[in-house]
Amino acid sequence: MKRPWYRFLYVRSSLVKLLLSIIAIMVAVAVVLFQGIAEEPRMLAQTANWDGRSIQNGAAIYANNCSSCHGPDGRGLPGVAPALNSRYFFTQRLADLGFTGSLEDYVALTVAAGRPNNRNSQWAQMMPTWSAEYGGPFRGDQVRDVAKFVVNWEEEALTQTQETDPWQPFENAPTVDIYGDGGVVAMEPTPVATGPRPPQELFVSMTCVACHNLNLPQDAQNRGPVGPNMANLHETAATRVPGEDAQTYVHNSIVNPGAYTVESYTPGIMPADFAQKMSEEEIQSLVDWILDPNRPQ
Amino acid sequence: MAVQPEVNKKSVMRTVLDAADDVFTRITAGISAGEVRRMIRGEAPGRPNPRLKPHSEAFLLHIKPTYYHESVTKFTHTFRLGLLSTYLFFVETITGLILMIWYAPTPERAYTDMIRLLSNVPFGQLMRDLHRLGAELMVAVVTLHMVRTYLTGSYKAPRQFTWFTGVILLVLTLFLSFSGYLLPWDQLAYWAVTIGTSMAEAIPPPIVGETVNLLARGAPDIGANGLMRFYLLHVLFLPLALFLFFFVHYYKVVHFGISLPSDEEEVGQDTANKVPADRRVYFLPDVMLDEAALLIVFTALMVIASVFFFAAPLESIANPQSTPLHTVAPWYFYWLQGLLKIADKAIAGVYLPGILLVLLIGIPYLDRNPSRRGRDRRVAIISGVVAGIVMIILSWMGTPYYAVQGAPAVEVIQELMPEEGMGPVREIGYAHLPLGVYDTRTHPESEDEEFNHILHEFEASIAAFEAKDPSFNDAYGILTISQEQPSLKRINWDIYWLSPEGVDETYNRFFFLHEDAFYWEQYGIKDFSFMRPATGEGE
Ligand code: HEC
Ligand code: HEC
Ligand code: HEM
Ligand code: HEM
Repeated sequence: MKRPWYRFLYVRSSLVKLLLSIIAIMVAVAVVLFQGIAEEPRMLAQTANWDGRSIQNGAAIYANNCSSCHGPDGRGLPGVAPALNSRYFFTQRLADLGFTGSLEDYVALTVAAGRPNNRNSQWAQMMPTWSAEYGGPFRGDQVRDVAKFVVNWEEEALTQTQETDPWQPFENAPTVDIYGDGGVVAMEPTPVATGPRPPQELFVSMTCVACHNLNLPQDAQNRGPVGPNMANLHETAATRVPGEDAQTYVHNSIVNPGAYTVESYTPGIMPADFAQKMSEEEIQSLVDWILDPNRPQ
Repeated sequence: MAVQPEVNKKSVMRTVLDAADDVFTRITAGISAGEVRRMIRGEAPGRPNPRLKPHSEAFLLHIKPTYYHESVTKFTHTFRLGLLSTYLFFVETITGLILMIWYAPTPERAYTDMIRLLSNVPFGQLMRDLHRLGAELMVAVVTLHMVRTYLTGSYKAPRQFTWFTGVILLVLTLFLSFSGYLLPWDQLAYWAVTIGTSMAEAIPPPIVGETVNLLARGAPDIGANGLMRFYLLHVLFLPLALFLFFFVHYYKVVHFGISLPSDEEEVGQDTANKVPADRRVYFLPDVMLDEAALLIVFTALMVIASVFFFAAPLESIANPQSTPLHTVAPWYFYWLQGLLKIADKAIAGVYLPGILLVLLIGIPYLDRNPSRRGRDRRVAIISGVVAGIVMIILSWMGTPYYAVQGAPAVEVIQELMPEEGMGPVREIGYAHLPLGVYDTRTHPESEDEEFNHILHEFEASIAAFEAKDPSFNDAYGILTISQEQPSLKRINWDIYWLSPEGVDETYNRFFFLHEDAFYWEQYGIKDFSFMRPATGEGE
């Protein structure tokens, strides 16, 4: 009979088979024991791994959904939404509210349910509902991921001092003096208009500055993270809405931001109540000032 | 007591030994300790052969033949592939039942259960790796077993029905691994199965296709219902069906005897069951030792492979809203994926596989040549080899290397930092990604050697696409690595280029990477660096 080249695979001797089996059993047991020794550190590493990945997912969710109100770095936007990357938020906020759970739970709950409304609130926007359970867009795991991400600011927030803490006290919550020198500075209440205020002052006091950058253009390389940049608005404004010249367009954008939404931005971010906070004269001067190509930087 | 007279007759020692031997014989269903010793010494059995008793007494052995023809016990005749298929199914059942303890088939829990299994269950990852490895091996081994029976012509009369049940077993095995694939509920699972079930939709007429698709998914898209259905198929229905068909298959194998090497009988004859007394190899002890040794060695190899070289993948959680760039089926379905790329869904997903299946079942009836000898079967062997080559080519076409290049900018980033899985950037990891802005136009270098490799690859890959793709001109990339949070870096990729019309185009993609996150490849040496005690900084 011819002998195929793979004949060596055929073990004939019973003794060899017995020996091979015994060796194989010993090797398998040794390998399983080794795995047993590795299990403890392996499980720790896996736990840390999946917590880390959770934070990574949360970071992406935050960048896409939350940064337009709470700021790209979590430091909040004046009058729009409170800071989360804040020492006050991490150390005192829950005590002020009398919430007894953990901060991560508080964040998860707030994100899941949002707030019912923003009536009687200092915030221009309402904290939306996010969990699909209550009609929002997120699954449960996404809510947990973004909460883990917010809480992960702790280390950075705890290094803040009174000057660098971006916390804006809630008008309806007590403010405790955590820095030992009179508490966090409360936000200046909007002064009642007594005469036309200059546009450069309005741009700051009306918080436009939190969302719009006057010195950067809005183009392919630069995109304002919250609201469009404005350095080249005098060129683009007239092209936005057919039939509206630059003046009319910018005016309408301030008085009635919902009428037109710039591409790639979320409608409803820009506060809609500026017409009540400024006189018509002030708005007009603000429009002129924004559109002035020679505006000093 | 009744023991007394016996002890009086024999000695106490003898009585105890006899009682022990009696218990031993009951456990082995008829083999006494003395017989075991004679087997080990290689002595011939007495007459009547006491080694046949377990075959009639013991349930598990009653289906095994008492002796084999010497020629079919040669390893190189069957390669024991049928035995290995059976054993792998057994391994899958055991590991699968263990996995079931920690697994709940709902979209809310399936994926978190996988994470819990990996990070909170001792030996949980090993069980999962074994199950996944076993599944891939089982598909391979069953296919090879089919190839073996094809090449030895073992499907010919009288074994046509054995072959038919074999084909059913193959189909069941493929469906088992397909249905199991969905269970981890990650992106990989979700999209592979979405594509797989969408082929069912192409069954004509539309009303049938839609109904089948709806029945499989439980809703127009895979969701809670689909997962539950796949789970029940996977752990209950398909294993039971496979179990049943296995016994039919094996009954037929024993009934006809394993076919002899074709040279040993005349063409047209079938003498597998007429084994001359001098060519008999008895199951006890020879075949049993042989099979046991093989399975023990095989088990050891499997354990070694899953501890050191194989890790079941787990991507991010299934997200119906986001289709991944490249969906990959498991390798044993690459051929189908390849077909889907060159033909439409109805042809590639329904007609061709259907024809293939009918052909496979029909082989014993199409091949009317009575000879099982290789030299008489040129046509059959050549067509088999051609079919094999076609499968391999189609499989190659099923991999992402063939004809699914996306836009250059997208591919450049996908190569370095894919949406899912590891890729070079995650491989070097958090510690090797120095903060900074790296613009390929200035050929940046950093302190970190491993990171420099990434920068070079980034540059080279952009240049390569620029040379290849006329719509991708004057391209450059900017990689920005910033600290998003303590222990969290943001890796931001921007690619700029000029379109053929001279318009500036850009593409942006960003990812986050946490210090503790690690990624792994399915095949390759596993990383055990976590066993080193943490050195604080440094690392
Ligand atoms: C439309 C603007 C807006 C968006 C988008 C938004 N928030 Fe808010 N968020 C608010 C406002 C306004 C409040 C304050 C609500 C109140 O208590 O009256 C708030 C409150 C919170 C609070 C509670 C702060 C505290 O101290 O009580 C958390 C936590 C929070 N948001 C997290 C998030 C996360 C995470 C996201 C992204 C998923 C997000 N927010 C998206 C506007 C927003
Ligand atoms: C909470 C953030 C926020 C604040 C505060 C805010 N805006 Fe906006 N603004 C936006 C966003 C977002 C858009 C783009 C969406 C839209 O068009 O509604 C926008 C759009 C605009 C536009 C149109 C820009 C373009 O490129 O077409 C103008 C003009 C504008 N804002 C002016 C102002 C002025 C003036 C103020 C202060 C009185 C102000 N905004 C305050 C967020 C803000
Ligand atoms: C789960 C899958 C399968 C199992 C567990 C299985 C099991 C077995 C076993 C144990 C044998 C005994 C001989 C040997 O080991 O080769 C056998 C023989 C056989 N099998 Fe399978 N088999 C499976 C799949 C298949 C497939 C897919 C085919 C072909 C399409 C097939 C066709 C045959 C044939 C024709 C024989 C007879 C071989 C002969 O007499 O030489 N089987 N099978
Ligand atoms: C009775 C037998 C079986 C039971 C009870 C069972 C059970 C399970 C369970 C609970 C899972 C989910 C866990 C996980 O994904 O890691 C799973 C996954 C899987 N099963 Fe099975 N299984 C059985 C047999 C098989 C067989 C025979 C095959 C293949 C031929 C198979 C292939 C798979 C695959 C590919 C997965 C996905 C694995 C992974 O991603 O980890 N299973 N099985």
